[in-house]
Amino acid sequence: MEHMPNEPVDAIEKPSPDKCSDPYLRCAFNGAAQTALGVSGCALLAHSPQGCDYLVNTAFASQECDYMETVTLCTKLCVDEIVHGGEDLLARTIREAKNLPISSMFVISACGPEIVGDDIVAVCEQVQPDVKFKLVPMPCAGFRGSQYDGIDIALDMMIKRLANGEREKIPDSVCLIAPHANANPTWAADLDWVKQALSQMGIRVVGTLAHRTQLSDIENIASAEASIVLSHDAGQMAADYLSATYGIEQLCKGMPLPIGMTNTRDWLAAIGERFDREKTAEDMVAEGERMVTAACRRKWPVARFLYRMPAAIVADATIGIPLVRFVTEEMEMTPELVALYSSRRAVRQLLEAELKDIGLSPDIVYGTDVYKTRKSLAEIRPRIVFGSTIERHACEGLDVPYVVEVVRMMRQFRMINREYFGYTGILNLLECVQNEWTMAWRSKEKRYESKW
Amino acid sequence: MKDDSIAFHGSLQQLLDKVETGEMIPKLQASHAPMCKFFTSYYVISGIKHVVPLVHGPTGCPLYMSDFVRTRECCETRGVPLEPTACTVLDESNVIYGGEGKLLEAVKEAYAKYHPDLIVILSCCCSGIIGDDVESIAREAEKMVGCRVLALRSEGFGGDFRSGYEDAFRLIMDLMDPPQSTMKGTINILGARWGPSPTEFTWDIDEIERLLGEIGIRINAIIAGGCSVEQIRHAREVEMNASWCYDWGQKIGDLMQERFGIPYSKTGQPYGPTATKEWLLGVAEPLGMEKKALDVIERESCRVEPDIAYLKKALSGKTAIIEISEFPGPIRALSLARMAEEFGAHPVVINVHPYTIKERMPSIKYMLELGINPEIILTNGLFRLGSFRSSKETEDELEDIVEEYEDPIFFGNSGRFPPCPVVNLTLLNPAFQPQYGFSGIKNISALVRQALENRDLPRSKLFRGMLYGTHAK
Repeated sequence: MEHMPNEPVDAIEKPSPDKCSDPYLRCAFNGAAQTALGVSGCALLAHSPQGCDYLVNTAFASQECDYMETVTLCTKLCVDEIVHGGEDLLARTIREAKNLPISSMFVISACGPEIVGDDIVAVCEQVQPDVKFKLVPMPCAGFRGSQYDGIDIALDMMIKRLANGEREKIPDSVCLIAPHANANPTWAADLDWVKQALSQMGIRVVGTLAHRTQLSDIENIASAEASIVLSHDAGQMAADYLSATYGIEQLCKGMPLPIGMTNTRDWLAAIGERFDREKTAEDMVAEGERMVTAACRRKWPVARFLYRMPAAIVADATIGIPLVRFVTEEMEMTPELVALYSSRRAVRQLLEAELKDIGLSPDIVYGTDVYKTRKSLAEIRPRIVFGSTIERHACEGLDVPYVVEVVRMMRQFRMINREYFGYTGILNLLECVQNEWTMAWRSKEKRYESKW
Repeated sequence: MKDDSIAFHGSLQQLLDKVETGEMIPKLQASHAPMCKFFTSYYVISGIKHVVPLVHGPTGCPLYMSDFVRTRECCETRGVPLEPTACTVLDESNVIYGGEGKLLEAVKEAYAKYHPDLIVILSCCCSGIIGDDVESIAREAEKMVGCRVLALRSEGFGGDFRSGYEDAFRLIMDLMDPPQSTMKGTINILGARWGPSPTEFTWDIDEIERLLGEIGIRINAIIAGGCSVEQIRHAREVEMNASWCYDWGQKIGDLMQERFGIPYSKTGQPYGPTATKEWLLGVAEPLGMEKKALDVIERESCRVEPDIAYLKKALSGKTAIIEISEFPGPIRALSLARMAEEFGAHPVVINVHPYTIKERMPSIKYMLELGINPEIILTNGLFRLGSFRSSKETEDELEDIVEEYEDPIFFGNSGRFPPCPVVNLTLLNPAFQPQYGFSGIKNISALVRQALENRDLPRSKLFRGMLYGTHAK
């Protein structure tokens, strides 16, 4: 098992010795689909066998697409196309869709057609004159990596094919990158909070890569002065490219995302400083902290009774890393296990720095899978776990009183998106703990039957 | 009826003929994709206890299934503990150099980690195209671990969704030992998948089990609905096989009959009194338990007599417009057509796609043999590109069709808004499950009553706008 308490930062990028994994992360194809579906008024054509279309469906749900507006298509490759090639079928399917009222069509290819050598770029070039919408090919077979690799691949293609470098810089503007690489099931609320905070500081968002993004926003992306990556799991490659090619400065690099009081304060302060809005940022922090404290004084969250309870955090890096400080500082629990889906170098460096700064030394599992998580939980025996529905079931028999489902939950449903970022995010997380505590206390059986 | 919106109007037999002769092409539009062979193979294999489905491919394929089937369905609603879904995580290097070595190591690792009773290697597109010999690896690996290791070629491109079910059931037959004895009065139920039935509500399979139990018929295994490897090993010791759904059990039932000589009870789905009686006698008669079965049928019929009387009165002379395209599915729609006819209604089945006819050909032919040959209408919306366009257009067409018939009643789900009573038969509201058997008659009677007694209440503009837009017809 890949346990590395206080592992030095340079002992990284070791390939996993496991040949048999029970993964948390989907494949690159899914990540690319999730990214492409963040563009409004588009269609997505999966050049794949029909099963891969289900990965498109999960991406569709994650991006909260509206089926009245966004069409997904699939070439449904069979043995014939694998043997003889599927380029003709791809061209035919694009032409069949030529009357769709869309501005762009992203063509993403899966494992099968890439292995047999279908050239989707060439097909798109050949068919482009026959259709009114813009064709954007994205070779992103599942075997190219995890969903995060797929997001990076898709962002790269999207920027390189669609961004126009001739645009003038817009003062006090940013572009936002990879908001969707976030395991909060309603991550769009995190993005909304960021946009609202920036708006309060008078900073314009030129474009978001990608969520409900217009094609013109991507074309204008080079006009942003700065970029902010809203994930610790994906998007860095795009930020690096925008910086190197268009001189777009990356903000908040190497900082935990704004979950909890300290992280939010630092994050807002960094942006305020860059745009000479220090006073506004300070006011936002003061008002936010006052609001949270007042709300807690009125609602009395029970998290205060869970003082120094041994905790485990099992999540993506985007939620998991900032959660470490929030759980330790605001909720006064003690993280004894941090298991992250990712194992990228930057993720390791950020977590190590956070732990050192806080003074914690939990067990760490990078690139965890379900087996490693279960084994780690069995070894550490935390009393509270921040994770997903999988951890709820993985904790069976381990005497874990509370499993707070904050990521990828299947048990709960949210009609209203809830952010974890920012000050309302703090209250949302406290609410998750409160409801779990309440459910844990609810009687599972009655001691006797009533008479009526 | 507006002719320009009708793609086909005739009998089920005529539709079948058109599909068989190629006059109607059984092809779904590009915006509609059913599951692939890998998914359906996984569905079946995951219905066996203590099995490791070992997916030889990248992470996308297994993860969809582990999220949907394992965590959401099995753990959350079916009372199944967290079971593994293992994966070799094939990457670019494996695609170039082959992944057989990795697979062999993965089998050994899976055995060491999970101590399963069975490991099933499932190939997907990647491993299939690069030519990894999963069968040989399975044979090799089996010598190194303490359980059976089988391989299933389940590449997504390698067949349609049905072939995944059928190949997985065929593979399960390899686990069946030659019989040492015969289990008297015992049957297998065939054709299940995903795992056992949900724990919190009574389902169709539970109703079947209940009625068989009343007769005194025992079940060795529900294959593969939460059965153990041990139960599968003894599967040839039963007196006969049956299925709660002719369509799902048909392939493995026929194969077990052909290879092992175990009779398969061929009956339709037990919707309504006649089909339920046929189903029970179809099992009980060959086992010599006809008398006990008739006693149970009589007792149960008495229990639901008021419901049968109500359904006869309520449906007599009506036109039953039946459209069950997604939940619960086309075979159920045809079974319902038979039930509606039994209660005195004239059934008209809407939008059974030619693709469905092709994929379920043996079952459709069997239903025709039973005399189930209802009027069928296919509308143009069924063939439109785009799930919204298709859905919206078929809704508009359905509303037109309903107006053409006298005294119509719609059997489908509440996602449709025809100007007539709507009987909501969705399987997503378990409060009215089961629909099979005698308990099913009670539930369907309650649903019909709801539809008729509340026919004048306003429908939801909210849900209609959500499904078909605010400018819906």
